[in-house]
Amino acid sequence: MPKRRSRRVAGDPATLFSKLPEGTGGDIRSVSSASITIRFANGRIHQPHLERSTQISFRAAEGGRLATATGSDASAEGLLSLAGRARSLARIAPVEPKFPGFAAPKGRGPGRLVYSKATAELSPEGATRLAEEVLDAAASDAPGSRVAGVVFVGNEQLRVANSSGLDRSSTHSMAYASVLVQRPDHDPPVAGWSEAAHWDAARLGPARLGREAAERMARTTPEPVAPGPYRVVLRGPAVADLLRFLAHLGFGANGEVEGWSCLARQRGKRVAPDSVTLVDDASSRETIPQGIDYEGTWTARTPLIEKGVAGDVVTDLLTAGRLGRKLTGHAQPPEAPWGDYGPTPSHLLLEPGDADEDELVRETRNGILVTRFHYVRVVDPGKGVITGMTRDGTYVIENGEVVRPARNLRFTESVLTALRGATLLGKARRTYFDGGSAVTAPSMAVRSFRFTSATLF
Amino acid sequence: MEDLIRTALMVAEQPGVVHADVRVVAPSRFVQLAVRNGAASALTDARTEALGVRVRTERAWGFATTCELRPGPVREVARLAVRLARAAGRHAREPVRVTDDPVPHGGRYETRMRRDPFAMPFEPVLELLTAAENGLHVARAVKSGLATFEAWEENKWYGSSDGASYTSRIVHVGAGVSATAVRGSNVQTRSVPSSFGGDFSQAGFEFVEGLDLVRAAPETGREAAALLDAPVCPTGPTTLVLGSSQLALQVHESVGHAVELDRIFGSEAGFAGTSWVSPQKVGTLRYGSDLMNVVADATEPGGLGTFGWDDEGVRARRTSIVRRGTLVGTLSSRESAAELGLERSGGTARASGGDRAPLVRMTNVNLEPGELGFDELLEGVHEGVYLETNRSWSIDDRRLNFQFGTEVGRRIVRGELGGLVRNPIYAGVTPEFWASMDAVGDRSTRRLWGLPNCGKGQPGQVARVSHAAPVARFRHVTVRGG
Repeated sequence: MPKRRSRRVAGDPATLFSKLPEGTGGDIRSVSSASITIRFANGRIHQPHLERSTQISFRAAEGGRLATATGSDASAEGLLSLAGRARSLARIAPVEPKFPGFAAPKGRGPGRLVYSKATAELSPEGATRLAEEVLDAAASDAPGSRVAGVVFVGNEQLRVANSSGLDRSSTHSMAYASVLVQRPDHDPPVAGWSEAAHWDAARLGPARLGREAAERMARTTPEPVAPGPYRVVLRGPAVADLLRFLAHLGFGANGEVEGWSCLARQRGKRVAPDSVTLVDDASSRETIPQGIDYEGTWTARTPLIEKGVAGDVVTDLLTAGRLGRKLTGHAQPPEAPWGDYGPTPSHLLLEPGDADEDELVRETRNGILVTRFHYVRVVDPGKGVITGMTRDGTYVIENGEVVRPARNLRFTESVLTALRGATLLGKARRTYFDGGSAVTAPSMAVRSFRFTSATLF
Repeated sequence: MEDLIRTALMVAEQPGVVHADVRVVAPSRFVQLAVRNGAASALTDARTEALGVRVRTERAWGFATTCELRPGPVREVARLAVRLARAAGRHAREPVRVTDDPVPHGGRYETRMRRDPFAMPFEPVLELLTAAENGLHVARAVKSGLATFEAWEENKWYGSSDGASYTSRIVHVGAGVSATAVRGSNVQTRSVPSSFGGDFSQAGFEFVEGLDLVRAAPETGREAAALLDAPVCPTGPTTLVLGSSQLALQVHESVGHAVELDRIFGSEAGFAGTSWVSPQKVGTLRYGSDLMNVVADATEPGGLGTFGWDDEGVRARRTSIVRRGTLVGTLSSRESAAELGLERSGGTARASGGDRAPLVRMTNVNLEPGELGFDELLEGVHEGVYLETNRSWSIDDRRLNFQFGTEVGRRIVRGELGGLVRNPIYAGVTPEFWASMDAVGDRSTRRLWGLPNCGKGQPGQVARVSHAAPVARFRHVTVRGG
C-alpha cells in the first residue's frame, strides 16, 4: 500500500530569518496536507477526490506594519520570494501599534497528541472501502432507499517558525463520515441522518453510521407542524451548529474589539444552568487534535462557560495586544475572509450530562426532536440571534414519546436563549467536524426554542 | 504546462479509462487588502499552483490533484486518479453517460480590462481604502469601519484525451465599505455598494475606481448610525419592493441553486441538498408570475461567471432558465445533461481551481428587466416596504422556504419612499414568492452584481458568480422586524 506523503518545508526558516534586515520580523506558517474524500449519492460513489497540497504563508512585520504573502512553493527560493512579497506589502501598510511582536519559544506544550498513522496513510482503495461499508449498511437496513454521504480521511502537518526563534510543528490525522438515507417515494420524503468524526478512521464505525441513519428514518410521511415556541431535543449535530455560532458571536476576539459580541456585557455572569460547561481544547483526544495554533502558540484547555458562567474571549497575538488580554492560542489561518472572524474557538467540547435520548424525550414531554440544522446564518449578532432550517429528521414529541415525523421548520432564535434554557444533556457525545472546526457535544433538551415558519416538506 | 498535461494524459491512458482531462491553474493569485478602523486587518498576497487530473472509466470518475508542477508528482496523481476511479467503479451498476459536445482545439479567452490590478502597485489601492474607511467614522456610534479590496487572477491550461485544449486568463476585482454602529446590543451595519465585500466584476481596477467609495463613505456611516434610532420594521403581510442587490441574492438562492441539475438528480443530497424541482418537470413547472424571465448567461460582459469554455471544454453560452414564469432550462454539466436526456451540456461545469473537480455551478444567472421605472414601480404601492442590501440569508435544502434579512428598509407610503426601518426580515416559499411578483423594474434599475462566495461541494469549493437584477415588486409578503 503506497504511502501518501505530506510535503514539508524544504527551505530552512532560520536561514531565511537570518537574511532579513534588522528591524524586520516575521513568521512562517506551512500547512501540508494529504486527503481522500469519497462522496456517494444515489447508491454509488460519484465524486472520489484525492488531494496533496502545501500552503505556506509568510507574515512580515516592519516597524509595526504587518502583511502576509501566501504560496505553494516550499523551496528555499520560494520562501525568499514569499518574504519579499510580504515585505513589500508591509511597507505600505498602516502601523499596527498594538501588535506585541512575535512570541518567543517559552512554555511547555500539550505533549504528544493522539495520531493515527493508518488513517493518515489510508490508500484510495481503503478509503473507498469505508464508503462502501457506509453505503452497504444503510442500503441493507433500508432497502429501496436513496443513500448519500461522504467519507473523508487525511492528515495535516502544521509548522510555524518565527524570527523570535520559535519553531514548532503539529501533525494530526482526521476522518469523518456522514450519511443520509431518504425514501423519496414518500411525499414529502422521509430521511435519516448520521455523522461522526474521529482522529482515527478505525474508530469511525462506518457501518454503524449507515445503520443508524437507516434506523432513524421515519416510516411514515412527515406532517405539518405550526410554527411557534416549542420545547426541543437537539441531537448532537444540531447542538454543534449552535455552539459554532456561539463561539463566533460570543467568544471571538474581534466581536469584543468592535463591540458587537453577544457576550460583551456578560462575562463572569451566568448565561446557562450549572450543567453547562463548554471548553475549547485542541489538545484533547476527544476532538481532532492540533498541538499549536497558526502562530505557533501551544494549544491548551480554555474554559468558555464554566458551570453556566461565561468566560473570556479567545485571542491571537494581535487581538491579545489590542484587548490587553491573555494570549490563548487561537490564531486562525491568515486568509480569513473579510477579516471578520479572527481568533475563534474551533475545538469545542461540551461536557455531557447523564441522560440517554429516551430520557431527553421523556423529560421534554411535548415538543420537537431535531436531528440537525441547515444553512444557519446570523440575524442579529449583538443579541446572538441566528436562523436556519431543520433537516433530515424532525419529529414530534408527545407525552414523552417520539410519535411521528414533522415537516421541516425554520428557527429564528438567540443562541443565548437556547443555552439559558438547557434543561438536560445527553450522556453520549460525539465529535462533529465541518472541515474547519470540530465540536464534541451530546444531545441537549431546551425549554423554549422559537420556530418562525415551516416549509413544505 | 502543455508538457505536464501531455504527461498526465499519457499516464492516465490505461485499460478501462475512457476519458481523461487535465487542468493546470498556475498561478492562481488572490490579493486582499482591508483597512479596519485605520489599521490593516488583512493584507494578503496569495500565489498558488495546482494541477488536477480527472479520469472516467465505464462506471466511475476519479480525480487527483497536486501543487507540485513537476513530472514526477504529476505522473503519480494521474495514476492515483485512475486507481480511485477503478475503486469507485466496483460499487457502480450503471455506466456513466456524458453528452458529446464540440470541444475547442487551441482556443484562448482573456479578461478585457483597462488597468490590470496585478500589474499596478498596491499603494494607490491602500490609499483609497484608508481614505474611504476614514470617511465612515462620521458619528461616535460608528464603532467599526471596514474597507476592502479583493482581486483574483486565474491562469488556466486545459487538455483532454479527446484532443481538446484551451488556455485562459481571467481577472476578477471588487471592493466595498461598511460601517457598524453599536449601542448596547443594538448593532447596525450599512455597506456600500453591497454587503460581504461590496461588488465584484470581471474587470480591471477601473471597476473599483468607478465605485467611488471615498465619496460614498460618509453617507454610509451616517446611515449606520441613523439605523440605531430607526423604528423596528413593522410586522405583517405587505407589499415588498426589493432593491437590485437583494433581488440578485434572491435569484441566486431560490432560482440559481434550485436549477442546478446535479442537485435535481440528488448528487448533492448529503451536503448542499436537493431541489424542489423534479427532473420530469423541467419544461412545464410553473416557477413564478408571467413577468419572471431568467437566463444563465456565461457571455455577459463583466460577469464573474463569464468565460470562454467551462471546465469540461464546453463553449460558454446563454440559456433560458425561466420564460414567462415557466421553468424551461437548467444549469448542467456533460454528465447531468446526459442523465436528463439532453444532447448538449449547458456548459456550466466549473471548478474553483486546479485542485478541485468541476461541479455544476452558476454562471451569470440574471433576472431580465421589465418595463417600469423605479418611481412608476413605487406608484403602485399604497403601503409597503423597500428593502436593500443583504444582512442574512438562509434557505432550506430543497430551496423552498427562505428567510432574508437586509441592512436597511424604508417605508413606502402612497407611492413615496419614507423613513428608515431597522432589522427588516422577509420570508416566503419560492414558487409562491415568485408568483407574487407583479412589477419588474426596467433596464435603468438593472445592475450586474458579483458574488464571490458561493459555496458547494466536498471538499469545499467557492465559486464567483454574478447576477443581473432590476428592482421588483412583490405582493402579500411576510415581513417582520427582527
